[in-house]
Amino acid sequence: MDSDWAKEHLQVIRTLMERAAVYRRALAPMMLAIGVMGCGAAILGLVLGIEAPRAFLGYWLLVAGVTVAVAFLLLRRQAIKDAEPIWSPPARRVMQAVAPALIAGFVVSLGIILRAGDAPLQNAVGTRRMALGWVPIGWVVLYGCAAHAAGFFMPRGIRLFGCTFIAGGCILFLAGVPETPSPWFGHGVMGVFFGIAHVAYGLYVSFTEKQNRAA
Amino acid sequence: MNPEPFLQLDRVIHEKGRLPIVSLLAASPELSFTEIRDTLKMTDGNLSVHLRTLQEAGYVALTKSFRERKPLTTCALTVAGKKAFENYIGLLERIVAEARKS
Repeated sequence: MDSDWAKEHLQVIRTLMERAAVYRRALAPMMLAIGVMGCGAAILGLVLGIEAPRAFLGYWLLVAGVTVAVAFLLLRRQAIKDAEPIWSPPARRVMQAVAPALIAGFVVSLGIILRAGDAPLQNAVGTRRMALGWVPIGWVVLYGCAAHAAGFFMPRGIRLFGCTFIAGGCILFLAGVPETPSPWFGHGVMGVFFGIAHVAYGLYVSFTEKQNRAA
Repeated sequence: MNPEPFLQLDRVIHEKGRLPIVSLLAASPELSFTEIRDTLKMTDGNLSVHLRTLQEAGYVALTKSFRERKPLTTCALTVAGKKAFENYIGLLERIVAEARKS
């Protein structure tokens, strides 16, 4: 009796179960795009001298918005290529997992922007320290929480990636921020975590995907 | 090759239309009717027939509710369904392993 049909059945089951449970769409290009934009935004922020608390927070929220839009376009492109719905059950689960941490980060930042915009506070050391120091570190930790939560529905070490962010952010929290943080600190933290770390992870995923395809 | 595992395959699951449905449900706590239909690109009628067969076998539980005033049918594997699917995969693996040996 031929057993090829049994192998094929097992392969079909595996594929369908992965499709239902694991979100693996465009991970490498998305991470690379986020990383490149993060690095570019950090450099641009330093070149433009964005250091007022409100400007710094607004600038990075804008970068986050553009990055999300680019990531969405990449996901959409791959979904069309694979002839699959973009809003698949795994995609929905990933969104539900990342939403609380990202929304919390956005709302807290928005609150600080609104209050940091008051003229007497614009150059106050406390506000500056908050905006250029504590808030970016908070973003790193919250983003790490979001990535860790998404990792339950995604492959390739996303949870470990999230843990790295949480650990890195916590270490920075414990180390503390300078009394008068320079733009180098704020943009540097953002560039390292949202730029370099993403590029490194994107390259890792890209490399391992190629290896798996070759195997 | 020993034909015994093949004869033991659950005929309810071992069907072209039903195997993908059970596979999807095995990987997810629950899925809506439309999610299954869109993922597998099945027609409403075809999916309904297969779900009814699975429900009658006691493998799938259907829950009807409303979301934003629209009817929503949610499907989930029952304990018996999960066990039957595990047995089915076990038998397939046995068939492949026996073919390798011979």
